[in-house]
This record gives sequence, C-alpha cells and structure tokens, in this order.
Amino acid sequence: MDMVASLPAMKLDRLYANPFICQAILRSLPPLAKKYVLEMLYIDGPVSAKMLEEWVLADGSSKHRIALDRLIQLRIFTETVDRKKETSYRLNPTFQINLRKHLIDREVLPREPMPSNIVARLPSLEELEAYALGQWECFLLQLINSTQAEKLTNFSSSMMKVFQRGLLSQREKEASRLTESGFQFLLMDTNAQLWYIIREYISNSEERDIDPADLISFLLELSFHITGEAYNMNTLTEIQRHMIKDLADLGLIKLQQGRKESWFIPTKLATNLSVSLTDSSSRKQGFVVVETNFRLYAYSSSKLHCEILRLFSRIEYQLPNLFVGAITKESLYNAFENGITAEQIISFLQQNAHPRVAERIPSVPENVADQIRLWESDLNRVEMTPAHLYDEFPSRDVFEAACDFAREWCGLLWEDSKKMRMVLIYQDLPEDPTGRFHDFKQFVESNFDVFKWIGLLIILAQGSCILLAMALRALGQNHGSNYYSDDEYPPARLPLINHNLQPPSFVVGDPHFPSKNDAWNVRIHSQT
Amino acid sequence: MVNATKGLFISCDIPMAQFIINLNASLPALQKFIIHVIDSTHLFVQPHVSEMIRSAISDFRDQNSYEKPN
Repeated sequence: MDMVASLPAMKLDRLYANPFICQAILRSLPPLAKKYVLEMLYIDGPVSAKMLEEWVLADGSSKHRIALDRLIQLRIFTETVDRKKETSYRLNPTFQINLRKHLIDREVLPREPMPSNIVARLPSLEELEAYALGQWECFLLQLINSTQAEKLTNFSSSMMKVFQRGLLSQREKEASRLTESGFQFLLMDTNAQLWYIIREYISNSEERDIDPADLISFLLELSFHITGEAYNMNTLTEIQRHMIKDLADLGLIKLQQGRKESWFIPTKLATNLSVSLTDSSSRKQGFVVVETNFRLYAYSSSKLHCEILRLFSRIEYQLPNLFVGAITKESLYNAFENGITAEQIISFLQQNAHPRVAERIPSVPENVADQIRLWESDLNRVEMTPAHLYDEFPSRDVFEAACDFAREWCGLLWEDSKKMRMVLIYQDLPEDPTGRFHDFKQFVESNFDVFKWIGLLIILAQGSCILLAMALRALGQNHGSNYYSDDEYPPARLPLINHNLQPPSFVVGDPHFPSKNDAWNVRIHSQT
Repeated sequence: MVNATKGLFISCDIPMAQFIINLNASLPALQKFIIHVIDSTHLFVQPHVSEMIRSAISDFRDQNSYEKPN
C-alpha cells in the first residue's frame, strides 16, 4: 500500500472512484485507522482533532498517531487548520461516497462469471492451485537463473532483468550470483515475494507508458473476483489485456480458450492480494521436518524447495518425493557468508514445518535453533572500531573535563582514570572538521597560551638566526675564509664570483641545469 | 601536551584476546601491532591489521572444523 500512497494526488483521487479499491485500501489499514474511517463515514463536516483524541485511551496515543499519519498519507483524511489554530479532519469526499455506495449496494463486479454452458471445462480448485504454484515456481527458478528451470516463461529478458535488479548481481564473465537481498527474498513467504515482484512490475510500468494507477486498480479489482470462476476476456480493456498475459506467467490467472471465446480464471494467489497484510494468510502445506540430530527431511518434489534448502544445509539424498539433508557448521557458514541470517533460516523452517510437527511447540527443536544462532555469533567474536588513544594529560581536571565532553558526544569507548588515558571513536575528518576534535583541541590548548607564545618566540629566533647566517655568509666570501676545507675546489671560489658577473650565456646554452648551481655549470664549461 | 595515537580498538572475549596477543608475539619486532593491552577483553592495535587479524581468526576456526568426505 506504500505504492498507492506514493502516487500523486490527482491519480489517487481517480483511484478512489473505484469502490473496490476503496474497500481494498480499507482492509489494509491498521485496525484503529479502520475504526476511524468507519466512524467518520457518515459525518459530512470536519471533526476537530481534539474529539478524535478523546476516542482513544491515554496509552493508545502512539497507535492513534500512527493511524492518523497513515490516513493522511493515503489522502483519506484531509487536515485543515482554521483561524483558531485548531486542526480538524475530514474524510476524502470521493472515498466517502464510494464506500457508502459500496456498503449499501451489493458488491457488483464490472464483469459477471460466464455461464457454465459456454464454459466447457473449468479446472477444479485443486488443479487451479497446483497450476498457480507450478507457474510461480517456474518463474522463481527462472528468476534465480537456475539451470533447473524446465520451461521458460514468456517474460522478455528485459523484464526479467528488471525483476532481477535487486536480487542478482550481474557480472559480465561470471555467472550471475544471488545478492544478499536475493537470498533473503527466497526465504520470504509467498505473499511477500508476490508483492515484491508486483511492486517491481508496477514501478517499471511507467517506462512502458502504462499508467501505474490503472495497473493497481486492475490488480485490486482482480482480488475481488471469485477463485475458480471464469470471466470473459472481452470485458477487459486493451491495457488490461496486456497485463493479463504477464499475470498468467506469474500464476495469478489461468487463461483458457473455448471455441469462440476466451476467458481467464483468477487463482488463489490473485485473490490473496488484497488480504490485509497484518493478518496471516492461510498457510500452505508445510513440508519440512527438522530432527534433533540436525537432520532435515523435506517431503516435496519441487525443485525450488530443493534449491532453497541447499542454501543452508548439506544434501544427503534426494528421492523423487523426499529430500534428506543435514544442517552442518560448514553449510551454515556458507549461508552466513552469503548474507543470510540465522533468524531467517529459523523462521523459514518454522513457517514451512510439516503438519506432523507443526503443532509441537517449538516446531524446530530448541537445540537446533540455539546451535544455529551460536554458530552465527561465532563468526562475530571480535569487534573492531577505529579509534584514537589519548594519554599524558597534564592534569586530572583536564582529563575529567575531556571525559565528560566525550561522554556527551557519545564518543568515549574506554577510560582509565588511574593512568589518565582514554580511547575515543575515530570520526573521519570530512564529517567532523569543526566538531568534536576541534573543540577538544581548543579546550586543551586554551591552557597552553604561554607555551604558544614561547613556541612563536623560538620560531622567530630561528628565523632571525637564518637571516643573520645568510648575511654573514655573503659578507664572509670576500675574506676568502677557508671553511670548506674538504671541498675539492677551494681556489675556484674566487673565479666563481667573477664568473657570476658575466652575462649568463653559459646558462642559456644549458637551460636544463638549475640556475642555482651556477658553480657547477661554470665549472664544467671551464673544463671542456 | 596530550598525545593522540590513531589505531583500532578491539573488544572481544578472553580466548580471542589471548589469541591476538599470541599472534602479536609470534611476529618479528618490526611487525608487532599491539600498541596497548587495555585489559583481558580489550586491546588497542595499529589500524592496518584488521584484515590480518580476521583472516588469522578464520584460519584458526577452519583448523577446528572437519568436513566429512563425501
């Protein structure tokens, strides 16, 4: 429903013109928000915020806030602030009218199920369910690029790339590998996976010039159809016909063709779309038994289940209807390296527990669950933080003050008051140039003004010494003082000065010699 | 004046701390990386050794594992 909330205002109003969408959105609201909408349904004027708050007990105020935020986000409530600075809320008029109509009239779908004399052979509900699951698994297998997918779906490769965007990492020469979110996607339950794929599909629809509002409205409408009933294809608009083919590949719809007409049959996956995500949908049959000796028995013939179980367990045998594996430390380390967490593995095993063990509490034996968590924490035994160590504080007061300062900024990792040392978290300079460290340095340096002046004095003295030395050197040349006794060319000192007065023709001849070293320049030329 | 030394602050359990100290002792004097042993579970080391410590720990862990040959 976040997708719906992110649509712009005009499109949202158009969406609310359809009573089914209003009902689907109502179902998806948190319980308190549902209550508010129903109470305000027949109130035409605005209701002040204070009255709304009176409906809630004191300890429910956070839920009240959440419900109100959600309603405003979906533009169901409009907030107005009048001159007395009081806020009041009003229900969105389109939404209100449509929901009222929906309550009063019987729900009438835009299309009726086709009469059974035209429809030749409808599949039974079990067949339909098997078909839907088969299609969905085929799609998932193709998604994770497994070579085990038998038949390919009709999705174009660009569409598959869109779906694979967040899940697979595409590298040119190697085979594409599942990313961390890809692994987590596989372990989610079917409803969450379906919504993820549909979200990607809808956000991609804009690139294909299909209005996402139409897509969303068709999907939500579809969820109100009756599973197993056939609906005529010619009741669909052009856009919806395009969508139908893609949805058939996903397993939401089964297409059938008669002699003259063709029809579509929505499956359980489609009708589950609008089920409120806060309720738990009916659990499909689980298939995994986990024993206390770390063995895994999965009564399933599906290749997808086999792939998923191989992510974190070591396969021992595979029979046509049974998969036997063992959860070992090495197989779990493999899974952890791929980014799967212990909690995901445990919740996957619990959600898919075979009916025989599902009633047992806990459905996954405690020793197995605990061991999986222990093995995960074994990988994280050492924590490293980049930091700075400060020691040799001049006095205890400075140390205490610095400690308090660091504690305020939550940067103190460790301190030792006996030896006056402490460790602070290191923050990169771009993030904190005028922050903590600068303040800290200033705070310490303010006690050292005197030393600063002494330092400046020393530097000035050194500078003046250098100037004095250069001056003395220049003057001392004329006396011919023999300081550089180990210099090979002391007699050349006199001619050096004379040569320097010549026009620099030599220097021009050899421009790549540095002009500072005139002595060597002239020396070489006088030799040649 | 206060001295600031840049490094890595390590917090772990006691066996791992001993392992790291042992690793430090086995290196020649030029490559020793522990600046300060703070207490039995905390160390302060030079900043560039984090990868080396991690790979040493994972080698140590692999030596303790046995994979049944298939």
